[in-house]
Amino acid sequence: MSLDSSNSKQRSINSTSSNNQSNTSNSKKRKSNQKTLGMAWGANSLSGSRPSFRSSPFSDFGSYMAVKNKKLQNQFDAQASNSSRSDSYTKPIFDGVSIFVDGFTIPSSQELRQYMLNYGGRFENYFSRHRVTHIICSNLPDSKIKNLRSFSSGLPVVKPMWILDSVAANKLLSWVPYQLNQLANNQPTLSSFFTPKSKPADEGAFTNPICEVKHETGLLCLKDASKDASFSEAGNSFEWRKQATEEHNKLMCENSNKTLIDEPSNRYSEEPKEVEVLEPTNLQEDDESLANNRHQSCPEQSSASVSSHCFDNRGIRGSPRSSVIGPSKQRHSTLKDPNFVENYFKNSRLHFIGTWRNRYRNRFPSLSNGWTKSTNSDVSAGTQKTPIIHIDMDCFFVSVVIRSHPELNDKPVAVCHSYNPKGTAEISSANYSARDYGIKAGMFVRDAKGLCPQLVILPYNFEAYEEVADKFYNILHKHCNRVQAVSCDEAFLDVTDLEGRDPQLLASAIRKEIYEATGCSASAGIAKNMLMARLATSTAKPNGQCYIHPERVDEYLDPLPLKALPGIGHVLAEKLKNKNVQTCGQLRLISKDSLQKDFGIKTGEMLWNYSRGVDNRLVGMIQESKSVGAEVNWGVRFRDFQHAQHFLLDLCKEVSLRLQGCGVQGRTFTLKIKKRRKDAGEPTKFMGCGDCENLSHSITVSIATDDIEVLQRITKQLFGSFHIDVKDIRGVGLQVSRLESADTSRQAPERNSLKSWLMSASESSKEQFDINSIAKECMGTDSEGKNMDGNSSVLHNASVENSVHGINKPSNGEGCSNQNSSVPPLCDLDMGVVESLPSELLSEINEIYGGKLFELITKRKVRGDNSSRSLCFIPPEPALEVEAETSHNSDPVSLSRPAVEMRDEQPILQELQTVPDSGARSNSVAISTAGLENNDLVPSSLSQLDTSVLQQLPEELRADIFEALPAHRIQETSAMGPKTDNERHPLGIKSAADNQPGSTGTGLSNNLWIGNPPLWVDKFKVSNLPILKFVADMYYKANSPESLSSILQCTLAESLHPLDSTCDAWNEAIHSFNELLMSYVKLKIVVDIEEIYVCFRLLRRLSTKSEFFLEVYNLTFPHLQASVDENYGGTLNIHRHN
Amino acid sequence: MPKSKPMIPFSGGKMERKDNQSPQGEIAGILVEFLEVAITSVVSLKGIYPPGAFERRKYMNVVVQRARHPQLREYIHSAVSGLLPFVQKGLVERVAVIFYNTDNIPIERFVFKLTVNQSFGSHVEESDLKFSLRSFLIKLSISQPLTTVLPRDCRWEITAYFRSLPQASASKDAEIWIPTDTKQWQQPPLITPIKSMNSEPLGLQLYLEHPSPSELLCG
Repeated sequence: MSLDSSNSKQRSINSTSSNNQSNTSNSKKRKSNQKTLGMAWGANSLSGSRPSFRSSPFSDFGSYMAVKNKKLQNQFDAQASNSSRSDSYTKPIFDGVSIFVDGFTIPSSQELRQYMLNYGGRFENYFSRHRVTHIICSNLPDSKIKNLRSFSSGLPVVKPMWILDSVAANKLLSWVPYQLNQLANNQPTLSSFFTPKSKPADEGAFTNPICEVKHETGLLCLKDASKDASFSEAGNSFEWRKQATEEHNKLMCENSNKTLIDEPSNRYSEEPKEVEVLEPTNLQEDDESLANNRHQSCPEQSSASVSSHCFDNRGIRGSPRSSVIGPSKQRHSTLKDPNFVENYFKNSRLHFIGTWRNRYRNRFPSLSNGWTKSTNSDVSAGTQKTPIIHIDMDCFFVSVVIRSHPELNDKPVAVCHSYNPKGTAEISSANYSARDYGIKAGMFVRDAKGLCPQLVILPYNFEAYEEVADKFYNILHKHCNRVQAVSCDEAFLDVTDLEGRDPQLLASAIRKEIYEATGCSASAGIAKNMLMARLATSTAKPNGQCYIHPERVDEYLDPLPLKALPGIGHVLAEKLKNKNVQTCGQLRLISKDSLQKDFGIKTGEMLWNYSRGVDNRLVGMIQESKSVGAEVNWGVRFRDFQHAQHFLLDLCKEVSLRLQGCGVQGRTFTLKIKKRRKDAGEPTKFMGCGDCENLSHSITVSIATDDIEVLQRITKQLFGSFHIDVKDIRGVGLQVSRLESADTSRQAPERNSLKSWLMSASESSKEQFDINSIAKECMGTDSEGKNMDGNSSVLHNASVENSVHGINKPSNGEGCSNQNSSVPPLCDLDMGVVESLPSELLSEINEIYGGKLFELITKRKVRGDNSSRSLCFIPPEPALEVEAETSHNSDPVSLSRPAVEMRDEQPILQELQTVPDSGARSNSVAISTAGLENNDLVPSSLSQLDTSVLQQLPEELRADIFEALPAHRIQETSAMGPKTDNERHPLGIKSAADNQPGSTGTGLSNNLWIGNPPLWVDKFKVSNLPILKFVADMYYKANSPESLSSILQCTLAESLHPLDSTCDAWNEAIHSFNELLMSYVKLKIVVDIEEIYVCFRLLRRLSTKSEFFLEVYNLTFPHLQASVDENYGGTLNIHRHN
Repeated sequence: MPKSKPMIPFSGGKMERKDNQSPQGEIAGILVEFLEVAITSVVSLKGIYPPGAFERRKYMNVVVQRARHPQLREYIHSAVSGLLPFVQKGLVERVAVIFYNTDNIPIERFVFKLTVNQSFGSHVEESDLKFSLRSFLIKLSISQPLTTVLPRDCRWEITAYFRSLPQASASKDAEIWIPTDTKQWQQPPLITPIKSMNSEPLGLQLYLEHPSPSELLCG
């Protein structure tokens, strides 16, 4: 009821006010009424307001608007006639243009309206498809973008800059470059490079016309065509409109790539495949030959076990190898994807210039060196003459491109990688008419357009550049055999030899020829030396030549501003300016000493020389590049670590290709990172690097490389050392220095590295011994007993035979040295040994492997390592075993036992040998010992002793033999310990005991439970302690052997051998078992306290039966309770108090 | 021992089971249902109520006890189902059923320690999980000898230990649980494990805590 009454009130107000208000001011309100039509909006219902309209002069809203628009037009026309009459009598710029401004713009719609008024256009307050020709806006909401057609009715949507630029240019510019960014995104984003390409077939159809349009925007003659083109695009279905623009961007890139691909990059793209496929096969071959060698090195009489073992080894090593190949191949396929780095460099002018040199050198290999030395004598004579011509193409990058557009000859033209006129892309080269406007290289397109709105911007044409550069150099080389290429468009000629010809005539002849051949002009400078010739060229430009007579050098230099001299940049010029020195003439007044004092010896001398026109450089002295690298500082934005990694890999690929292109390999790798400063916002340059901190890390390896995989590994390592948020990275560069020629670096002797040491080992057998011993030390002393004795057990048959027969085959030695001369494949390294090496040695080995080693080690650490490699973590058994034997020797019965044990152990030991990482290496070492040392009367290694023979020897004789062993062999005896189980030499026991603490100290006790069967089973099984062996047996008897409780249950069930408590191994056994228990507690405490509880309950029951378990229980219990308390805040109720 | 925050259910709150599609939601759902049964079994086991207060039911193919008194049933139900969102998020570390004597000193605690794998992504095999949980109920039914005999007039409550206190404002679910200061023993308790299970999606351990003998002397 109350609603109704208010309704009627409102109605009455409405009807009166609508009559009173002026039409124009009320229009907005009316519009909103119109919009809400159909809505149940009780109070303002339209049926109520209708009668009021009927009474007004307008029959409906439509007729009202028509009248309003007409009135607005009239007002506009009146104003226009006022303002435009005053300043223009020609045809107005915006004749026929009618704009509608949508939303907020800069300049504002009122200002735009003013422009329209002044320059003959129309301004529509209300959008109409029939009257409006252009929609002006700076930003569109997403909904309008998505529904562009219904919003714009197919009319061009243009940014307000178009109007300003047109006014500035005083003519109507094509609107195409000003199309709204959201619609035509010319600037490719980083992520678009990474998205996989998928091109619908029909899209090429409309992207091509667009490309054309873009090409000719500068020509201002294709307005209609361009309209059509973009409309055809807009005409496509809207659902994939957005996708289409993306796709279009991509295709644009691709298109440009297709046309712009330069020859080297083409060649590069195929190279990596070859290189990387070849590499593994080589290695494989190496492997095989290695294995073969090893096989050969085995004496023919050697037992079958040795040779078959070698084959075993090879087979095993084959498998990890193939698994390595697998993933790397996969990576190739992902590398084929379009990626940023590749595209970046394909579109980079600097890259073109940088790589051009290699191309040049490949084309004229003999010319770039070879005759430089002979010219020395000419120098003094030459200074009197004018032997140097400097030739430089005039604005090379522009003129090459506009050869095909003669109509652009007089127009300002610039070359830039991006067309976007608002953009912050940098002009890379501008022609002379553009330079007249103040346009310089390095300027943002935006600014350049501001200076010269009619500036035509063209893209690079690398193909054409190459063609012209080639022609250019062909001509130079035809005329003169001493050419020093400075760049693709710039060279010095030494014409001293061409006495008969006037250099000036020669220069003009060359210039003429260049113009005829390439259609581009070149300028030349002729002078007594390179400095002056270069300066002369700068005077001669454009398209001229200049000769500076030696006697007029001073005259020329006197007024020359310092900055014109090469080598004097902003900083130096500024410093000199502060000293009131601005010209060469002024500089010449300063003494060399004071210059050197102020600016350093080199710079001071340079200044002194240059100011006098002295330049002693010789034509042809091409400075060898000291580093090769690639750097990307534009468009670098990373999403996440993976993204960054991917980028790094690509960068490495690029650098590797460049190294290969230059035919060099490098040793020092420097990764530079530009990190956004904390307070720095987005840089002004679109996707630029902005304000950055420059960080760099470098690493030097001992062997020069250009291998992509090595590079990638090193780079990853370097990148890891930055500890940086990848989102802050704005630029990445990888530089390789300490370059060596690829050919020489392969043979370069490197005395100080471990590798060279190993290599040189073959030179003398004495050294060989040392290596063997060292190798043994490495293998043996570092908790490596098992693998070693595994080998020796198999090998000593062979070696003994060797020594018995006195065979001294040269082939043995060869085989050995062969093995030693190459670094074993990474997979053959025993990581346990490697990790326990001193850090210096480790880093050196890492370098030999090009950083692979560290990676592997960290990987292993992360993985927690459950592979068979962890075998080497087992503390060696020697002490245990030897001790056990000594305890047994009093017992005559037990004598037979070790032998039996030994047989039992064989299979396990075989297993150990087949562990790929340690087996191969230690094997080769052992064999080489066998092979080389048989010329000694007394075998210098215990590996050559048949322990079973030794065992049979009388006590005194045995002692003699041990004494006869060289001192450095003693350590071996410890390494051999467990296998030579009957050897009771005190030395062996002692050193084994020495070994023990260190290795158990590092014991990763958790590893005892890794593997199937867990490590401890094998460990206990091979031990000499009956109780441990017994427990190990229980493992196989238990129902669920993965749980200790089940094993203990079994143990409890089986009757126990009473243990001799006086046994020496007693403590050892307790210690081992304690270790086992503690590692089990550690493993289970968090997740399964029940199991721990059951175990210790069982253990308690066992402890009532066995002294051994009682002691173990007592030893372990406090640790257990501490562990429980730590995790559960209580103690385990083993004794059950209730 | 990580510090955790004990909370007890605020009676009167009601919690509706939600359909949760995530693996954690699934796990939590199963777990909460299990806890309800297990806690009822514990209470029944301790004989704190007359035997007539429970009736035999089958759950997971095991004979279990179910409270007949609606208030008791409601208390247990609302307490554990109130935990559901927190269990799902892995916030609940332990759920304890604590028996107090008349002096309000805890005599015995049945502790369920839970670990819901927050990164477990694949589908949970409900039958596997239930099979594992079943063993708890079986073990529980025969674990009376492990427990102490309770004195007369005992009191009991459910306390949940949170890894971090839930923000009361963050969700309405938190409102039915209120922070509490449960009396603690002075000495570390004796722990008697009853059952442990550890699967990829869920780790659950049930153990008893009794005051250490020295505690009793002090007390």
